[in-house]
Amino acid sequence: MRSDPNIADPDGFYEAWIAAHDGLSDAASADLDARLVLLLANQVGDMAVLLECIATARRAGG
Amino acid sequence: MGAPEIWKFAPAYELPSWPFVAPPDLAAAERRRYPVVIAGGGLAGLTLACDLALRGVAVVVLDEDDTVGVRGASSRGICYAQKSLEIFDRLGVYEQIRAKGITWSVGRTFSGADEIYSFNLKDESFSEQPPFINLQQFYLEWFLVERIRELAPEAIRWKSKVVRVEHGNDGAQVEVETPAGTYTLETEWFVDATGANSRIRDELGLEAHPSRHTDRWCISDVRFKTPFAVERWTWIDAPFNEGRAVWQHLMADAVWRLDYQMDEGADPESISRPEVAGARLREQLGPDVEFEFVWIGPYQYRDHLLDTFRVGRTIFVGDAAHVVCPFGARGGNNGIQDAANLGWKLALVLAGQAGDALIDSYHHERHAAAAENLRITSRTARFLAPRSAAEHRLRRAVVALARRHEFARRIANTGRMAQANAYPPSPWAPAGATSLQNVAEQGTTVMRLLGAGTHFLGLWLGASREQIAALDDELGQRRPLAVHAIDANGALACHLGAGTGTFFLVRPDAYVAARIDSATPARVAAALARALGREVEA
Repeated sequence: MRSDPNIADPDGFYEAWIAAHDGLSDAASADLDARLVLLLANQVGDMAVLLECIATARRAGG
Repeated sequence: MGAPEIWKFAPAYELPSWPFVAPPDLAAAERRRYPVVIAGGGLAGLTLACDLALRGVAVVVLDEDDTVGVRGASSRGICYAQKSLEIFDRLGVYEQIRAKGITWSVGRTFSGADEIYSFNLKDESFSEQPPFINLQQFYLEWFLVERIRELAPEAIRWKSKVVRVEHGNDGAQVEVETPAGTYTLETEWFVDATGANSRIRDELGLEAHPSRHTDRWCISDVRFKTPFAVERWTWIDAPFNEGRAVWQHLMADAVWRLDYQMDEGADPESISRPEVAGARLREQLGPDVEFEFVWIGPYQYRDHLLDTFRVGRTIFVGDAAHVVCPFGARGGNNGIQDAANLGWKLALVLAGQAGDALIDSYHHERHAAAAENLRITSRTARFLAPRSAAEHRLRRAVVALARRHEFARRIANTGRMAQANAYPPSPWAPAGATSLQNVAEQGTTVMRLLGAGTHFLGLWLGASREQIAALDDELGQRRPLAVHAIDANGALACHLGAGTGTFFLVRPDAYVAARIDSATPARVAAALARALGREVEA
């Protein structure tokens, strides 16, 4: 898993991400993020990287 | 409102029964000793008995009942996978199964009213047998019983209940209760095929790690005639079942198995009342389809996996050793495949052509297969029964994306259909072992080449007659091996994925034990010795 900066325009990405949630209920918003995770996971593909991302996300939330 | 509908029930299946015949043991002054005794005449026990009978082993089957199937119920297993069908071809019951059963290869999965993915198993098939045939389990057992009676008329002992087993170092002593009295027999190898609730297993105090799932289902086996496709249809969330899962599959005699996922808290008695089950069917079929019930059966699934499939001279096969959730037809098929894995090993050990350690390979290979099946079916079960709002959300994401994106279709999981499990590397097959399909080649097939005896096949791609003769000369006649030259451009070579010069050592259960890129007699002899669990000769 890489954690060095890989997104060329971090502020632009964040803006687009929150814009996608505009006007959605909490439930619809959470649904959107779940779909987004799936689409991004398929871009990564590599199982070892995916498992490390899952573990890291879980730790950060705990 | 019209009058309430009257629900029709089909007459019960007429199952055959066979008479109890007093065995010679009852009158014998001394205990008789047998090479193999099998307790339990279900799918695994009967397949093993048929396999052993065909190999010339004097097998005895002890069955409590005098018929096949489960009294008062419909079929248990319904889907028989290619590997099982290939085994049945070798055993001589395949044609009956094909003629009576329903051949299929296409599966479709729906969410709401939309199809979200489909598969055609025919695409990966090289075999003479189709990917699947559906058939009520008791028909299969019936065909096996008749075949065993042809091969060994006295082998199956009906109304014979195992009441006590003494497990010893050189076999077992088995006390059997019959209508004509009780007797004890001795056996070199004792096989427990008595199913999920095996007392033989429990009395040995073996750990089976059972777990019970809370997901609740209700089967309706129903006879009707409609132009439904002869395919496996599954719904993740059917609009006609309050958004829960549904299975739709055809069996013989125009009987459809419709299996409905129920609310977890549902009362099994009320969901299986004819008027409740009938109303569910009306939701699915509409008002005009005439149908009659064959059986209504509520169930919850469970699983277990025994730590060891062999304890001394006692061996566990089928449900006695492992039970998985029913998704993907990985229950009965694996009992059948346990039997095919074990039969040739017992035959060779009894004939002195292999050491006792070969039986350990049965545990090694079939335990690994069962563990894999447990993992695969548990994942399906979890997809079908999300346990929290968060899990529902993740599944919704998969289903939503699956409508448009191929990658998400692969994650949607209404069952991964049973395949012949690959076996992990072992002393007997250092590179692991994979199943060879029953490919037709030069007027014969893999199963016909294996025939009724117990020998390995050497498949030598592009070899000349002289090379084969030279190899046979070097190896001698006493080895259980028949070497054949195979067309390097033919269907078998294509399935094996190799070209001229490559030699494949195929076991009697049609698993490839070794691939030898440039075959010499010494290399072939070493691979064969290894596969038999013998010391490799210098």
